[in-house]
Amino acid sequence: MSRWIRSGIRVVAPIAAAFILGFVLFASAGYDIGEVINGLWQGALAAPGSAEQSLRWAIPLSVISFGIVITLRTGEFNIGAQGQILLGGFGAVSVALLLPDWSPYLVIPLALLFGIIFGALWSAIAGFLKVWFNADEVINTLMLNFIAALLIQWVTTGPLKDDATRGETASTPRVDQTFRLSDGAGVSIELIAIVLIAAALAWIIIERSPFGLKSKLVGSSPRVAAWQGLQIKRIHITTYLLTGAFAGLAGALEVLGPSARLVTGATPTLGFTAIVVAIVGTLRVPGALLAALFFGGLQAAILYLPIVSRLPSSGLRIIEGLVALLITAQFVWLRRRHNRRREL
Amino acid sequence: MTARASKDVVLRCEDIAVAYGDVQALHPTSLAFEQGKIHVLVGQNGAGKTSLARVLAGIIQPAGGRFWIRGVEARETNVQLVRALGLDIVHQRFTLPPNFTVAEALELVSARKYAGAFYSHRRLAASWLGELQQAEMSVSPNARIRDLPIETIQSLEIIRALAGQAQFLILDEPTALLSPGGVENLFSRLRQLRNAGVTLLLILHKLREVLAVADTISVLRAGRLVLPPSDIAAVSEQQLSDLIIGEGATGEAHAEATSKRMARDSKAVNLALANVSTRQSEAEPALAALSLEVEAGEILGIAGVEGNGQRSLVNLLTGLMPAQGGALRLLGRDVTKLKHHQRRSIGLRVVPFDRIAEGASLSLPLWENVAIWKAERFRRSRFAPLRIGAMKAAAEKALDQFNVQYESLEQPAASLSGGNMQRLILARELADSPPVVIAAQPTRGLDFRATQYVWGALRRLKHDGASIILVSSDLDELINLSDRITVMRGGRLVAEFAPPFEIKGIGDSMIGAMR
Repeated sequence: MSRWIRSGIRVVAPIAAAFILGFVLFASAGYDIGEVINGLWQGALAAPGSAEQSLRWAIPLSVISFGIVITLRTGEFNIGAQGQILLGGFGAVSVALLLPDWSPYLVIPLALLFGIIFGALWSAIAGFLKVWFNADEVINTLMLNFIAALLIQWVTTGPLKDDATRGETASTPRVDQTFRLSDGAGVSIELIAIVLIAAALAWIIIERSPFGLKSKLVGSSPRVAAWQGLQIKRIHITTYLLTGAFAGLAGALEVLGPSARLVTGATPTLGFTAIVVAIVGTLRVPGALLAALFFGGLQAAILYLPIVSRLPSSGLRIIEGLVALLITAQFVWLRRRHNRRREL
Repeated sequence: MTARASKDVVLRCEDIAVAYGDVQALHPTSLAFEQGKIHVLVGQNGAGKTSLARVLAGIIQPAGGRFWIRGVEARETNVQLVRALGLDIVHQRFTLPPNFTVAEALELVSARKYAGAFYSHRRLAASWLGELQQAEMSVSPNARIRDLPIETIQSLEIIRALAGQAQFLILDEPTALLSPGGVENLFSRLRQLRNAGVTLLLILHKLREVLAVADTISVLRAGRLVLPPSDIAAVSEQQLSDLIIGEGATGEAHAEATSKRMARDSKAVNLALANVSTRQSEAEPALAALSLEVEAGEILGIAGVEGNGQRSLVNLLTGLMPAQGGALRLLGRDVTKLKHHQRRSIGLRVVPFDRIAEGASLSLPLWENVAIWKAERFRRSRFAPLRIGAMKAAAEKALDQFNVQYESLEQPAASLSGGNMQRLILARELADSPPVVIAAQPTRGLDFRATQYVWGALRRLKHDGASIILVSSDLDELINLSDRITVMRGGRLVAEFAPPFEIKGIGDSMIGAMR
C-alpha cells in the first residue's frame, strides 16, 4: 500500500509545485490570484456545463495518451500525436463524406477503422525511418506534425472543401448527423464506451501481452533485449503503429463527435498535452485515465478563463508546461538517486 | 588519538562508515596505511571495499568518521580537495571520455596546471608527450581514447593520477579487465611506483594476484574490517580465504552434484562451425575461416587475450553478427542464416559477457528478467492474454533452483548483488537444461563463493550432456572446467590443448605473435 501512496505523492507533488510556481509568476506580473483560482474552479467544475467540458477534453486526451504510454515504455519519443490525430480525423471524415447514403452501423465502424489506420500509417513513417536509417524520431515525428497540418489545410481548401464556409478557417463539410457519436458538447455514452474499450485494449496490450513486456525490456535495456533474441525492429514498428492508431482513433472521435468536420488548425495542442498526461499517469493505463480527467479539466479552464479573468489562456499553458518540466526533473532525480544507491 | 600521525603513516582513517539508505555498507572502520608499500584490500562482493575507496577519494559522503592524508584532515567530500592532498583513484570502470584524444582527456581530468591562457592542439599534445614517454608508453597523444586497448587506457588513468603529484594511489579492481600478461605488466609498473615512494592501495579479488603483489593485506567482510593491514608473509593462504568467506563456509558445496540424467550419446556433435568468417568489428579482428566442434557432454574452453575475436565468436554463434561464408550447425541443423531467437528455440542459450549491460535489465522486476524471452509460451492461444501468474511461478521455480537470494519477485534486478545477478542469469538460461550453452566470462568480477557456484552449475550441465563453449580470460577457470582448450589470437584458433593442461604453453600461445 505504501508503494501506492509514495507514487501518488510523486505525481501530486510536482503538480502542486507547478501551480504554486505559476501563481507566484501571475502574482508578480500583477494578476489577481483569487480571480485566477476562481476562474480555474469555475472553468473546470463549478460553472454550468463546465464539468461536461472537462470530460469532453478528457476523452481525446485519454485515448491519445494510451498510445503515448506505449511509445514511452518502448523508449521511443514519438511526439507526433498531433499530426496523427489530424490524419485520423481525415480518414474518418473521408469515409463519412464518401459514403453518405450507407447505414450508420457500417459507416461509423468503418470511419473509426480508417481513422485508426491513417493515424497508424502516419506514425509508421517515422517508425520505418527510425528502424531502417536510425533517423531521430523526435525530429521526424515533430516535422510530420507540420506536414500533416499542411496536408489538412490542402484537403480542407481543395478536395474536401466546404463551399459554405468563408473566412479564415477552412473546413470540410459537416458529416451526416446520423454518423455522429455525440452533439457539439462532445460527451455521450457512446464516446465514453469507446474510451473504456480503448483503455481495456491498451491495458491488455501493455500488461498482458508478450509485446507489452518485451517493449518494456527494449525500452529499459536494448542490449539485454538483443541478447535475449527479441526482435527489436519489429517491436519498434509495432509501437509506432499502436501509438498512431490510438491518436488516429482520437482524431476520428473528434470528427464523429463534437466537431462534426475537419477544421484547419483544430485541436491545437492535444497531442502534446497527452504526453504530459501519459507521464503524469506514470506510464500506466489507469493512471493515464485519471490524469486525462485532470488535464481535461485544465483544458476546459484554459478555454473558460479569459471570460472571467484578465489572464490570457496561455497563462495556464505555462502551468501545463511546468508540470511536464517538474515531473521530468523528478524522473531524472529519482534515477540519479537510484544509481547512487546501486554503486554499492 | 591525535590528528598528527606518525611519520610513516600516509593515510589514516578513524571510524569511517558508509550507509546507502538503510543498508550499512561499511561499519565504522579505523585503519592506517604506511608509506611506500603496496597495500591490498580484499573481500567478497558487497564487503564495502569500493565504498571505503570512494570515501577516501572524496566521491561519496561517509555516514561518519574522519580521515587524514599525510597528517592533514580531509574535511569535506570533495575530489579536488583530496587530490590536492595527494590522493587519487583509478576506477574499476574507466572515466576518460572515449571521444577525446589522449592529450585532451589527460588534460581534462588531471590536477596539473596548463601553462598559458589558451589551448592549442600542438602545445597540448607536446605537453603530455613528455609524461607518456616518461612512463615508457608508445601511444600517440593524438590517438582517440575509444580506439585504445583496455590496458593502455588503464595506464593512462595511472599517468593521469600521477601527473597530479599523487602520493597515494587507489586502484579499484585494476585487474578485472586485463589479460594475464597485462596483469603482470601492471604489477611490475606498480612495484616501480612503490620503489619510487608512491603508496598504493589495491582492491583485488583473486588470491593468486594478491599473493603476487601485496606488501600488506587487509580484509573486509560484510562491511567490517576483519583483518587490519598485516604483513603478507604473516598470513597463510588458508587463513586468508577463511577470513574472506567467513567461518564454516564450504566453497565446494555446489561444485559437484549428482547428474540427473545420463549423458546423451557422447559422440553427437551439438555445435559445429565450418570455415566461418566474419567482417571486422569495431574492437576486434575479423574471424578468418574458423572451424570447431563441440560434442555432447563437453566443455570447450576458449582462451585468449581479450580483443582477439572472442566477442565476435560469441556474436557469431548467437546470431547477433552475420557469418560471411561457411556454415554453422546446431544439433545437426544448419542455422547459419537463422536469427538469435530462432537459434534459442532450437536449444541455444547464452550467458553474456557483461551481466549489467547485456545480461539483465536493472530496472525490470526479477520475474520479467527471467521469463520475458519466452513470454509467448504463457498464453493459451495466439490472442489470449498472458498468464502472468504462470510466468511468475515459472520464474520463481527457476530462481529457487539456482539459489538466487531475493525478497520479492517484483524487486528490480538492480537490487541484487553481482553474484546473485549472475545466478539469475544462469536460472534464466540453464533452468530447462539446454543442449548447447555459450558462457562468456561467466565469473568475471564475482567473488570466490559465487565463482564456485557458477562452475558447479556448468559442470552439472555438462554431466547432463550439454555442449558448452566457455570463453574466459581467467586461465584458472578454463583449466578447472574445460575438456579441451583452444587459444584464439588475431581472429584465428591458433592452438588446441588437451588435459593435463600446461599453463605456460597456453599462456605462450595466447601472447605468441604479439610479443
